[in-house]
Order: sequence, then structure tokens, then C-alpha cells
Amino acid sequence: MTVSSHKESANTSSVCPVCLKRLPAAVVRRGLTYFLEKECSDHGRFSTVVWRGENPRLEDWGNYMPPDEPAEEQPDCPSGCGLCAGHLQKTCCVVVEVTQRCDLKCGYCFAQSGDGSTDPSVAQLSASFRALVENGNTFVQLSGGEPTVRNDLPEIVAAARDAGCENIQLNSNGVRLGKDRGFVKALAEAGLSFVFMQFDGLDDRIYESLRGRPLKAEKLAAIDACAAELLGVTLVPTIVPGVNDQHIGAILDFALSKSPAVRGVHFQPVSYFGRYPQPPRDSKRVTLPEVLSAIEEQTSGKIRIADLVPSGCDHPRCGFHGDFVILPDSILPLTSKTGSSCCQAEDSHLKNRNFVARRWKRTTTACEESCCGEDYTEMDTFLARIKSHGFTITAMAFQDAYTLDIERLRRCSLHVFDNGNLIPFCARYLTPSQG
Amino acid sequence: MNGEKRTWKCGKCNETLVMKKTVFSYLGHTVAHEVPTCPKCGKVFIPEELAEGKMAEVEEQLEDK
Repeated sequence: MTVSSHKESANTSSVCPVCLKRLPAAVVRRGLTYFLEKECSDHGRFSTVVWRGENPRLEDWGNYMPPDEPAEEQPDCPSGCGLCAGHLQKTCCVVVEVTQRCDLKCGYCFAQSGDGSTDPSVAQLSASFRALVENGNTFVQLSGGEPTVRNDLPEIVAAARDAGCENIQLNSNGVRLGKDRGFVKALAEAGLSFVFMQFDGLDDRIYESLRGRPLKAEKLAAIDACAAELLGVTLVPTIVPGVNDQHIGAILDFALSKSPAVRGVHFQPVSYFGRYPQPPRDSKRVTLPEVLSAIEEQTSGKIRIADLVPSGCDHPRCGFHGDFVILPDSILPLTSKTGSSCCQAEDSHLKNRNFVARRWKRTTTACEESCCGEDYTEMDTFLARIKSHGFTITAMAFQDAYTLDIERLRRCSLHVFDNGNLIPFCARYLTPSQG
Repeated sequence: MNGEKRTWKCGKCNETLVMKKTVFSYLGHTVAHEVPTCPKCGKVFIPEELAEGKMAEVEEQLEDK
């Protein structure tokens, strides 16, 4: 193979997208684009875009250095996951699947869907929560499937609360939340902390393309229903080129206008799980620097790339975060001025856990509504405002069988609870290209 | 000491401290709060409950994760 390329990063490992056999891999630069490249003796060579552009440059993004260890001492990721001694990050949040059922048929979804026959009982889930809390894992994400198809979801939330979970997040498409206020109230009363809600844009054509039918009205109703119960909502758009990558600014503008009910936006560049007869074309992928640039361009500089920093809890190339406080007539960025990054710090998983809980949970301070005329440089009003109107812009780039980089996987702090094991998210949902 | 309310004097100037708005900087941000201040030399006294209370809270809110 002859390629006029320049290898920019240390070698890593990946898997064959067809047979999932572990393979040596490298991140290779051609011009301003970086590709993860690997070759399987049975299934050939694979090259997939992982970083486009130089704003920011990949080399400048984060301060992560992989451990200096011989290849034979590296763990055999992703086979055999659970976490092992070779994993380089502790658990921040734990995904607990409460059902395989779903009320939507999305083309883009990492989760499986099923008939409900395998739904764990509340007692089984309660035992799982207790086991997690015993090991210090007090931040759970109730996921699926679509958790709200379970009528006993409030009981599940209460079980998590009673087990000692301090932060209980619901991952939901919002469909039921928007039409069943009694259910939302029951969830809030049971101790739900906040909602991560699938929200791909404000144009129904986006939902028709990604989720199979128009959903905008239902999403807006869900936000209102959660607001009525003081349940913070973080909007979670899956960004797909040609579908909603030009709607990033509109999503942010909407989310900001809904503060404090909406606590932030969490972008997820599309990943390809499940069956794909042909490798997804690079033109169907969007990379982190493209999302960052789009945020700045599509908000006309209201949010700047400089306000957003690499993930400190996971591998830098897995995501970014920005912390803001929404003032009545402006947005005050907080992250860029800190100049700090806890990347690879021993307790970064705990810092991240506390940070997101602080921002995504709604408070009931006196400063809930607009306080025009208040002096936000005064300590008391600033404190009240940052608690009531804190806002995060975050992203997570999930890895599929084409983009999986074992160095990134080893830094993962988002783990799925599966039969007593904690499995890094992208290992848990990894599927070969034939499904 | 004056009844239940403490009054403080500046150790250097022997002036009674007066409440004055003071600007605090942390990680590039500034917030203001009234604290006992010497009217002569301008030195301030940070009460323990402020240092361990609101000031610590502001620091926590501004610190990156």
C-alpha cells in the first residue's frame, strides 16, 4: 500500500467491522482530514474519517497521553469487557437498561428493541441499584429501549432512590412525557433528578427522516411537562450530515430560550450501529471539530469554539463540554476562563459526576425567573443565577465498529450495567457491520 | 466586641473596620461583596463564614469539572 500521508498519532488498536477481530490501527492524516485505518487479513482494509479540519487541530485537542506499555500488556479490548485492571478510567455514570421495548422505530439508535419479555422486574432492578451504590456508583441513567413504555417506571425511580442513588437520569424520546402529565408528576415525586431527551431539531422533516414520523409538537409538550414538575431537561440531538447538521444553531437558540427548564444541549454525532451492508460513507459522518465549528458559525459567534473544551473525564476525542450561565440579556461562558483540565486526574470521574448533576438538576432558588436589573457581579445574585440558569453545551462522539479506537475506549467513564458487569458504552453496543 | 455584634479594628491603623463592597477575582471572573474594610489602608477582613460559605460556593461553581 502506498499512500502519501503523514501519520500524526501513536498507533492504536481497533476491530474489524465485519468480524470484530482486534486489529492494529493508526490515525492517519491526509491534508486536513484524519482517518482511522486498519486491515483485516480476512475482510480487507478499512479507512474511516474521525476528524475533519483544523479548527481546532487534532494535535491541540486535549492533553491525553496514552500509557507507555508494551503491546502484550495491553488488555484485550473489547472482547471480555467488563472493566479490567487495564481500563484507564473509573465509572462516572452507569446506564441501566430497564426495557428493550420502544415506541419509536428510529433508524439511528444504539439501543435494541424487543417485545418486553426480557424486561427486568423492579425487584431485579432494585438489586442492581443496591449493588451499584455499594461500589460507589450513585449516578444512574435509566435507559432502554424507551424507559417510559414501562408503567412502573416511577417505582423503578423510587427503587433507585431508596437504594441510595443520588442522581437518577431518565434517557427518553419524550413521547409519553409530552402526553401524560400524571406520569411525569409521578416520576418527579419518585425522585427523578433530570431528563436526557432525544431532540433532533425544530423541523418535523428531521424527525420524519431520523425517527420515522413528525415529533416536534410532542417534544415541545415534553419539555413543558417536565418544566411543570421542575425536572431539568437536557436536549440530545443526534447530528446527521444532510439532515440536521445545519440546524445546530437553531437547536441551541431554542434551548437557550427555554432556560432554566432546559439545562443544556448534548450533541451526539451519528454513529453506525446494527446492520449496514455497505460501510457508511465518510460523507455520512460528522466529526467533533465540525460540530464545534458549526456551533460557532450557526450561533453567529454567540457561542465560541474557545468556550468549549475537550472532555476531561473521557478521552479528549470522545467529546467536549462548555459551562455557561444565562443572564437576562447575555450568555456568560465559564469554562474557557478556567484554563483547567482534570484530564487523567485520579478523581475526574467524580468531578464530572458532580458537575453534570449540579448543572442538569433544577433548583428552586428565588432567581428562577428573569431578574432584569439585578447586578450579576454581586456575589449573592451571581450565585443564585448560576444555580438557577446554569447551562451546558456538551458532546459525545460514540464509536462504532468502523471508528472504534481502543485508546479512546480505555478512557471511557460511561458504563453499562450488564449482568453484574460494568461495560464501557461503546463496547457494550458494538455491532459488526452485518448486525 | 460590642454586645453580640463584633466590631473589628485594623491591626496596623487601629481604625474601626467599615463594611465596603470589595471585588473578588477567581479564574478570570469577578464578583463583589461587602466585607469589613479599613477606611485608612483599605485592607479587608474575610470572616470565616464567608470564606467557607459563599466564597467557597462561588469557587466550586466556577471550577471546571
